[in-house]
Amino acid sequence: MTAAVRRRAGLRELGLGLALPFVLVVIWEAAGRAGVVPQGILPAPSLVAAAWRDWAFADPGLGLNPYLGTWGETVLFSARRVFTGFVCAILIGVPMGIMIGWNRMVAGAVDPLIQSLRPIPITAWLPFAIAVFGIRDAGAVFLIALGAFFPIVVNATAGARDVPRNLIRAARMMGANERQLLLRVVLPAALPNIFTGMRLGLGIAWTAVIVAEIVAVKSGLGYVLWDAYYVGRMDVVIADMVSIGIAGFLSDRVLVAVQLRVLHWKQAVRA
Amino acid sequence: MTDAVAIRGLRKVFEGRAGAVEALAAIDMTLAEGEFACILGPSGCGKSTLLNVIAGFEAPTEGSASVFGAPVSAPGPDRAVVFQEASLFPWLSVRDNVTFGPRMLGRPKDETDALARRFLDLVGLSGFEHHLPDQLSGGMKQRVGIARCLILNPRVYLMDEPFGALDAQTRMQMQELLTHVWDQARGTVLFITHDIDEAIFLADTVYVMTARPGRMRSRIAIELPRPRSIDLLTDPRFNALRADILRQIREEAIKAMAEEERARR
Repeated sequence: MTAAVRRRAGLRELGLGLALPFVLVVIWEAAGRAGVVPQGILPAPSLVAAAWRDWAFADPGLGLNPYLGTWGETVLFSARRVFTGFVCAILIGVPMGIMIGWNRMVAGAVDPLIQSLRPIPITAWLPFAIAVFGIRDAGAVFLIALGAFFPIVVNATAGARDVPRNLIRAARMMGANERQLLLRVVLPAALPNIFTGMRLGLGIAWTAVIVAEIVAVKSGLGYVLWDAYYVGRMDVVIADMVSIGIAGFLSDRVLVAVQLRVLHWKQAVRA
Repeated sequence: MTDAVAIRGLRKVFEGRAGAVEALAAIDMTLAEGEFACILGPSGCGKSTLLNVIAGFEAPTEGSASVFGAPVSAPGPDRAVVFQEASLFPWLSVRDNVTFGPRMLGRPKDETDALARRFLDLVGLSGFEHHLPDQLSGGMKQRVGIARCLILNPRVYLMDEPFGALDAQTRMQMQELLTHVWDQARGTVLFITHDIDEAIFLADTVYVMTARPGRMRSRIAIELPRPRSIDLLTDPRFNALRADILRQIREEAIKAMAEEERARR
């Protein structure tokens, strides 16, 4: 297949994928204009787009209307929390998972605790997080880190446990010590699993940030979502929801791009 | 002179869920320095276990293995292992796979890169330094596996059916390559195989093992001239050796089958 043919096939697929959402948006818009749906509950796409434009670009003026020109900083608040919590989850989850997968003693000591905390939904941790950290950033970051931690640690454990035995033996016979074995063999061998865990964890991180901002902090996309609902700005609510979706999608794409670079050896098989 | 490898009263029992399995029973053998020894035996006779004990991957149940007088306790670069599946690190280039050992020991990169070039050249892989293992054929991977052992400059080479998974054509090429490399690098080799022709073609001495539990049945000196080439396969002396070993192997195989039938009954 030539590059041109492949590109055309890709475009056709993209067109097919966009058709259904487009039809739905058109019906939604038509229903709004025909007065079938009350605009206070489900505003038409054109109204949502207008509200979004003002939220993103309008002059905040005296700052009395929170939905003028504040979109950028709102997104940044949430993104920064997700980033901080996610990085914490990686820094704790990856080494811990590798040690659990590698060392039977560590597994025996730590794994039961992790497995018993894991079934507690992230939302159930909210009162705990607020009680301990108060209405501050730290509570939100704690929730995000905790939510992302579990899939990362579980997948890192599986990756470290499943390193082919002969790779370990080969490294040992070539003189690698325990530290070199972990860093040069177990970690790289576990990386495909670790990336799987990170992608799952990132999805949970976005869930956690919205929940935390609804309840525990007064900024970010989750806070605006709930605040706009309370004052009846459903146009802003929908614009906010779409913003969360786009942010989650883009952060996943970034992670996949990093994964493709780091795991370049995984898809290197050429004819 | 100390023996390169000395095995004394080696016994290995595996404790499994289905009970204990005696893999090796009372093995005694010595390899002289510079000897190329092949161990032949029916599958399941414990020949790989013997190699794993010498490599330090598995501890003996009884008895001991020592290499140049030093008892084996853990794996180390003085005993290089070529595995049946090449077992290269898929995330490292061919060159970095070969330099892995010396790099772990802290040797500088420019020095190890130069060494890698030399040994990759010796196994016929110059120009493939930057390839990844997954881009190589089975035979080429195994040549990388040999090069990463050569660079260690070990006292003993342990080869666990390194060509067993290759097709017949490639296997023959690899056998020729190995004799060629060995003629230059020398060293003591313990080579595990179940291929009689391979054993005769490569070895100074062939050890035939019994069916499980493995013991040494006989030791056959292969006094064929070196350097050896594929032409040797049709030599009458070669055929006589093959007939003799084949008879011994067949007796062991029949014994193994009878043993299995008895166990099932």
